[in-house]
Amino acid sequence: MDFIASHENWKNCFSEVAPGLLLFARQWVQSAADAEDIVQEAFVKFWRRNHNIHNRALLYSAVRSIALDFIRRDKRRARREATVFAETERSIESQFELEDDTQSALAAAVDSLPHDQREVLVLKIWNDLTFSEIAGALRISQNTAASRYRYALSNLKKSLQPQ
Amino acid sequence: MNDFSELENELKKLRPAQPSPVIFERVEQALEDCEAGALADTTPLRSFYSWWWLGFGLATAGIVVLFAVISFEREHKLDTATIAQSSPASEIRPETPGTEQSRVTGRFVPAGGTNVVYNARDEGLQFADGSERPVRRVRYHTQQIWRWRNPETGASLRVSYPSEEIVFIPVSGQ
Repeated sequence: MDFIASHENWKNCFSEVAPGLLLFARQWVQSAADAEDIVQEAFVKFWRRNHNIHNRALLYSAVRSIALDFIRRDKRRARREATVFAETERSIESQFELEDDTQSALAAAVDSLPHDQREVLVLKIWNDLTFSEIAGALRISQNTAASRYRYALSNLKKSLQPQ
Repeated sequence: MNDFSELENELKKLRPAQPSPVIFERVEQALEDCEAGALADTTPLRSFYSWWWLGFGLATAGIVVLFAVISFEREHKLDTATIAQSSPASEIRPETPGTEQSRVTGRFVPAGGTNVVYNARDEGLQFADGSERPVRRVRYHTQQIWRWRNPETGASLRVSYPSEEIVFIPVSGQ
C-alpha cells in the first residue's frame, strides 16, 4: 500500500513531480499561473481518486486533458495566447531557471521545437518517463514516442550548431 | 552508442522553473474542499437512492398483490364453473352449514372499483407506423382502486395504485 496515494504524503509526491508537471503544462499555456491552475486541478483529481502514484502516465494524461479543456473553456483567451505565441514563437516567462547564455540558447531551441516533439522531450528529459509511459500519457504508440524524441534531439542539435 | 548523449546531458542540466510556494497551499485547500464536498455530495445521492428503493419496493409490492388478487379471482371463477357443471342443482340447493362454510370463509368477491383520472395531457398529433391517418396521442395519469369483500367475514381488501395510459385517438380528416 506504500504506492497508493494517501493524504499524509501528498506534499512529498507533489514537490517531487510539480516542476516537471508545470513544465509539461506550459506546453499549452504561456502563463505560469495558468499552468499552476492546470497542475493543481490535475493533481487534486488524481490524488482524490487514490490512483497509484507510480502510474505517472495517468497523471500526465490528466494534466494534458485538463490543459486542453482549459484552452477550450476560454476560446477568446486561447486565441489571444495563440496570437501572442505566433508573434513571439517563444514563452514570455521562461520555463527554466537559466544560469548562462548557453542554457538560454538551449531553452530557446527547445521552445522552438514542433509541439509534438517538444511534448515528448519534456516528458522524457525533465519528467523521466519511459517511452511506454509517454505513449500512455499521449495516447500514441511507443515507436511514435521514440521517433518524436529522436527528431526532437536531432532538430535541437541542428539548431545549436554554429552557422 | 547514443549520438545524442551529450545533448541529453546538457538538457538535463536545464532545471524547470520551480512552482510558486502558494501552489502547495492551494492544493492542500483544494484537497480539503474535495473531502468536505465529497461528504456533502454523498448525502443527497444516498437520499435519492433510498427514495428510489422505497418507490421501487412499493411498486413491486403493489404488483405482487395485484397478481395475487387476479390469480385468486381466476381460481374463484374456475371453482364456480366447476361446481355449476358438476352439480347444477347446487345453485338452488340451500347451503348446508358446516360443509360449505369452511370453503367459503376465505373467499373474496369483487366489490367495486374506481379509476380516477387526475391528469390528461394532449401530446399532439402523430402518425402510427404504416398509417396515413394521424392519431392524437393523449397521456392519462390515473389512480386505480379495486375492492374485494368477503361476504362471510365482512373483511375487505382494497388495492390502489397509480397508472399511466397512453391512448391514441384516430383523427378524421378535414
